[in-house]
Amino acid sequence: MEAVIQLRSLNKSFRNGTVAVSNLNLTVRQGEVYGLIGRNGAGKTTALRILMGLLRADKGEATVLGWNLWEAPREQRQRVAYLSQSQQLPDWMTLRDLGRYAAHFYDRWDGDLLRQLQHRWELPWTESISRMSGGNQRLAAIALALATRPEVVLLDEPAAGLDPIARRELNQCLIDALLFGDGCTILLSTHLLADLERLATQVGIMDHGRIVAEGAVEDWQRTMRRVQVVFPEDRPPADFAIPGALRSYTLGPVVTALTRVTDEAQLFGIQSLPGARVYVFPLTLEELFVDWFHNTTTPSPTTGKESSQPG
Amino acid sequence: MHATPKLHLQIDERSGVPVYRQMMDQLKYYVAGGTLRPGDQIPSIRELAAALAVNPTTVVKAYTELERERVIEKRHGKGAFIAAAASQLTKAEQEDALRRSAKQLAVEATQLHVPSPKVISVVREELSALDPERVSDETPVKFAVVAGGANS
Repeated sequence: MEAVIQLRSLNKSFRNGTVAVSNLNLTVRQGEVYGLIGRNGAGKTTALRILMGLLRADKGEATVLGWNLWEAPREQRQRVAYLSQSQQLPDWMTLRDLGRYAAHFYDRWDGDLLRQLQHRWELPWTESISRMSGGNQRLAAIALALATRPEVVLLDEPAAGLDPIARRELNQCLIDALLFGDGCTILLSTHLLADLERLATQVGIMDHGRIVAEGAVEDWQRTMRRVQVVFPEDRPPADFAIPGALRSYTLGPVVTALTRVTDEAQLFGIQSLPGARVYVFPLTLEELFVDWFHNTTTPSPTTGKESSQPG
Repeated sequence: MHATPKLHLQIDERSGVPVYRQMMDQLKYYVAGGTLRPGDQIPSIRELAAALAVNPTTVVKAYTELERERVIEKRHGKGAFIAAAASQLTKAEQEDALRRSAKQLAVEATQLHVPSPKVISVVREELSALDPERVSDETPVKFAVVAGGANS
């Protein structure tokens, strides 16, 4: 499959010294839905803004459909739709006005789709945007973005502020976009990891401006497990490690690890340790995410050797 | 003639089970339970993706796996149907699933140092708690831990 979105060794710092994106590499192929997840401030928004050509990178390469959108001609930029976190539509206009206006600028404008979405989402057609609720303004922006019939869609937390029904509608609409014509490619950032379980094909965890883990959603769902080993003694034997562990922490006699279990046999060795009990739990993306960042949110407990533990 | 029943597939994004796997299991469940019969047409990839708000490639994956396991068959230009041999194959599948659960139970019982006769009697109790009659093997057994199933 062809790479549609490509970031290579991308770097971006801001004047105040914040390093937003640091040596970021990312590839999204034709037809994929890539979910970018990470804590606030991880650099997701900056990466999307650079891709859309709204920000200039300090170093590295950012292309969509082979074009650097910072310098691409209008007809190339039109192939890409972008929805920012804080999209502001001109709020004195109505959705009908905005549709008419956009029809002049977009070669692939689909007025019927706008009407269809407006109807489905019960958005006011001839009332000014300013009179819509926050959630409806967001849906209006999404409807306008999708009506441009983009080949690539970049979404920065599209579901923020939407109620559960509207969120489901949005998901359905993104699925429709994937099914329409030649399909499209989607890169979205989100904190709603449950939505990604059904929507995304790929997921990347971003931390400190780069991708720290990446995989196919289906592969993660199949192989990522929380493995817990309980030892009969006060603490695990020295040098004990769970095979395949990506992140691991120890509390007393219990070792818990976010583990990639590709074959149950990899845990047989632990089961044969005297008295050790092994528990394997499936993980949702959300739990995986929490486990991944566990070490950075709590002071890491000591393992093995003596330290400054009181008592 | 058997009209194709309306399917109610449900995706649980909080289960930690891959979505394609959930779809496969539920379709097989319908087959094993007789709701879906050989020759019944199943929804197209587009229909199912749109109805469940699931990425179409996930539906493709589920259907490909089901076809490989000969639960469904694609007929050129007509869509996907439950395969003629589906029911027997899902019996074998049932046994597989049962074995997986039994294996897990065996591991846990060993770790907890529970003697084998006790394990077997607990299983028997749980089975009769779910269905005291338990004569037919047609109903697919869905193993669930029924909390407090056998009252003390």
